[in-house]
Amino acid sequence: MTFNRRTLLRGLFQGSAAMVALPLLDCFLDGNGTALADGAPIPTRFGTFFWGCGLTKVLSQPKSTGANYEDMPQLAALKPYKAKFNLLSGYRAYVDSKPNIQHWSGNGAIVTGAAPSQDGQFEGQTIDQTIADVIAKGTRFRSIEIACSGNKRESYSSLGGANTNPPETSPAGLYTRLFGPGFNAGGSDWKPDPEVMLQQSVLSVVAEDRQRLMANVGAADKARLEQYFTSVRELENTMAVELKKPEIVASVTIPGMPENMTVNKSVPVLLKTVPVFSRLLAIGLATNQTRIFNMALTEPANTMFMPGDSHVFHQATHEEPVDEALGYQPNTSKFSTHSMECFAELVAALDGIQEGNGTLLDHCLMLAYTDTSNAKLHAIDGIPMFLVGSAGGRIKTGMHIAGNSETTSRVGLTVQQAMGLTVDHWGVASNQTNKPISEIQA
Amino acid sequence: MRRLSESEYRNSIADIFGADIEVQGRFEPDRRVGGLLSASSAILSITPAGFEAYTRMANAIAGQVVDAKHRARLIACKPADAKAPDEACAGQVIAQYGLMLFRRPLTAEETAVRIKLAHDITVKTNDFHAGLRYGLASLLAAPDFLFRTEYAVPEADGKWTLDGYSRASRLSYLLWDSTPDAQLLKAAANGELARPEGVAQQTDRLMASPRVLNGMRAFYADFLELDTQVVKDPTFYPKYSDAVAASAREETLHSMLDLTMTRKEDLRDLLTTRKTYINRPLAAVYGVPYNFDSEWVPYEFSADSGRSGILTQVTFLSLFSHPNRSSPTKRGVALVDIFLCQPTPNPPADVDFSIVNDISNPSLKTVRQRLLAHATNPTCAACHTRSDPIGLALENFDSIGQYRTAENGDPIDASSSLQGKAFTGAQGLGLALHDNPNFPTCFARKMYAYGTGTNAATVTPPQYRPFVTAFSDSGYRVPALIKAVIANPLFFAAPAPAAAPAKTASR
Repeated sequence: MTFNRRTLLRGLFQGSAAMVALPLLDCFLDGNGTALADGAPIPTRFGTFFWGCGLTKVLSQPKSTGANYEDMPQLAALKPYKAKFNLLSGYRAYVDSKPNIQHWSGNGAIVTGAAPSQDGQFEGQTIDQTIADVIAKGTRFRSIEIACSGNKRESYSSLGGANTNPPETSPAGLYTRLFGPGFNAGGSDWKPDPEVMLQQSVLSVVAEDRQRLMANVGAADKARLEQYFTSVRELENTMAVELKKPEIVASVTIPGMPENMTVNKSVPVLLKTVPVFSRLLAIGLATNQTRIFNMALTEPANTMFMPGDSHVFHQATHEEPVDEALGYQPNTSKFSTHSMECFAELVAALDGIQEGNGTLLDHCLMLAYTDTSNAKLHAIDGIPMFLVGSAGGRIKTGMHIAGNSETTSRVGLTVQQAMGLTVDHWGVASNQTNKPISEIQA
Repeated sequence: MRRLSESEYRNSIADIFGADIEVQGRFEPDRRVGGLLSASSAILSITPAGFEAYTRMANAIAGQVVDAKHRARLIACKPADAKAPDEACAGQVIAQYGLMLFRRPLTAEETAVRIKLAHDITVKTNDFHAGLRYGLASLLAAPDFLFRTEYAVPEADGKWTLDGYSRASRLSYLLWDSTPDAQLLKAAANGELARPEGVAQQTDRLMASPRVLNGMRAFYADFLELDTQVVKDPTFYPKYSDAVAASAREETLHSMLDLTMTRKEDLRDLLTTRKTYINRPLAAVYGVPYNFDSEWVPYEFSADSGRSGILTQVTFLSLFSHPNRSSPTKRGVALVDIFLCQPTPNPPADVDFSIVNDISNPSLKTVRQRLLAHATNPTCAACHTRSDPIGLALENFDSIGQYRTAENGDPIDASSSLQGKAFTGAQGLGLALHDNPNFPTCFARKMYAYGTGTNAATVTPPQYRPFVTAFSDSGYRVPALIKAVIANPLFFAAPAPAAAPAKTASR
């Protein structure tokens, strides 16, 4: 199956000839295959996958918990990877005295630990950026965002407030960002690019403006300028990395530029584009271009559609009657199933790259989450989530964990601890917790 | 402090360096606040990925400015030796473009660090123009270019107001969607813009230029929410394509500019006129013959076409529909929000919409019948009784704007009402909105919010009454409104700084 998928994928890239081959030689690894011979461990990456409008509970939530839980029809596409992820159900996002902002409160609380006060805005920086503060050093990009549907507003990674980190909106765009100008595979004839050094001196001039500008502005603009100068520092970091000889040892081949593809929210289109986005992302991670990624399949009020069906996903959640015999909305549930098929494509791409004695997926921790449990009611208790990958051995996988209405922040706290952050509690008000999910901590 | 929009950035570069300078790159997304994207320019910042893109664009633009093809036209001086630093020449070019890019003269320090940067790089590369290139790139990547930073000065009565350069930028970005030209910067420098007569004189000059159409085009696109992403299901609508979408957008902007700015007619006629501009792809959607050689032609729909101004253009009808069918609710909500400044609150969290969908019910065949059944639920009724009737008046038009008379075999009933006034169909709706005083008031408020970078919802009656009155007195002529908005003393007002130094950046 993996072979077929890869063969199919290869056809989507222009030409199958490799630009740069980067073989991972066994002699680079130590005896255990978990670290490079020079002692540098294989890095652990963190990412998120977001889809809108949740899952169908009766088709996705197993009755049993722990390991060996029963297979659920809506998760069929993920079955090959069942041993490599945890399914989390029953955690709740608390809004306390704030309104339940539809299609925003749930996902906002999951990634910041705080229920949002305003639609489209985050209460603080999102968890991926908190983790980036600690693990992104030494990679070219602080983080990479992808909007699978091609809408540049669909990014749920933020340094706080209304700003979101702009996503790549096409496979060609993602390719150019990762492997276009500035990408360097190293090799014996590697030399630092003098152009980068000149650009560094431009940035130092820009950074000099900081004090003068900061002296004269109000609090809100000061925060915006701080974000701007943070961005300047991040680019300085990127350039510093580009000037170092890269130590890339990954068993991947950099493909050619992908062909131009239609990008939108039609299900057949997504099923074609998501594997290409995923494969490029996986190669970017394997070659250490970034350690943080955020992929959004759709927006929260998911407008994914099936050609010929007169309802988009979100509209169907509200307008389709529940089939009393089945106990769910039959058409609506198909969209959730398709979302899981797309998600499985990303998991497959990460698991398809060998790294050490495992795969890239084993050296990742990915939080997959959504905005609601039952989208029909905008319910934010029991929002389904997944933790995929074992974070280089720090997370035990293969289990179904029931959250019993405890805060979704338990997931975020567990994630941060697994990624090596020194944090013993996380979240705000009823979403604050000091209890990680110990069952899955290795 | 306002982040430049994509069109403001592109137009500024074209005006400063020439339209043949290519600007290729990705711009950070903006967000709609109080009905306008422009209001988000005052709250958004620049992210790491965004800055990476801006820096790349800065380098590419500066590279083109100094390259062999453009050097003679764009670099006003020649270095004594093309392989050695020439601080006089570098300083001249940096000061010239610094004034244009920062929309104010550079400080001595800002110029000096850039001359030094150019000097050092010239020494490293043995190339004067390479040094100059990076000096210019440092201007293009600076916050002073990427953000329009506004500076306040105290007025006689203890209030604060924008300084001349900040006024020049407000005028220029509102009227031309671009950076102030040399004359406007001069008017800022010599104090003309500090006086109402000076402002009026420059306003007249900018409005006499055809470039005012660029300014209003940008405002209209923001006002009508034309940036909304549209995807149609080709199974239902094989005629719809990217070409149709782009043509429809052009139709709307062109017909709106033509009516309001070129022919200077009553703004409200936009909702009732049957005159428009079409091209071949649009003619196919509208179902009218296209026997013309030219790409675009003026066209007048027949009286029995059911069409009524921009309400029945492909843009509006397709933007506010589902990919696969029309939506009276979406259309109704958009209409009252865009044209009447009455946003609809979110629906309550726990609602069963099933009845709207159940097309198997033999007594509920059309969207109208199903929606009305749903709106009998008292929680839903509060909003639906407001939005749906308005949207139902447009039910003779499908998801891409094609005329129809029946749905699932039942004839369409497009009867409707707005604030107690009964009417039928799009033409009835057009007339009702035409005569609704909230429409011109809303339009005026949004223009003011657009020009000042504020949330339109926070513009209060005492603030908008003077220019709304002037607008009404003029017979709703948009040029008169523009002048009244700018002449309003609040247009350049600035909040007092917390601790008041001599010169302070505001907002």
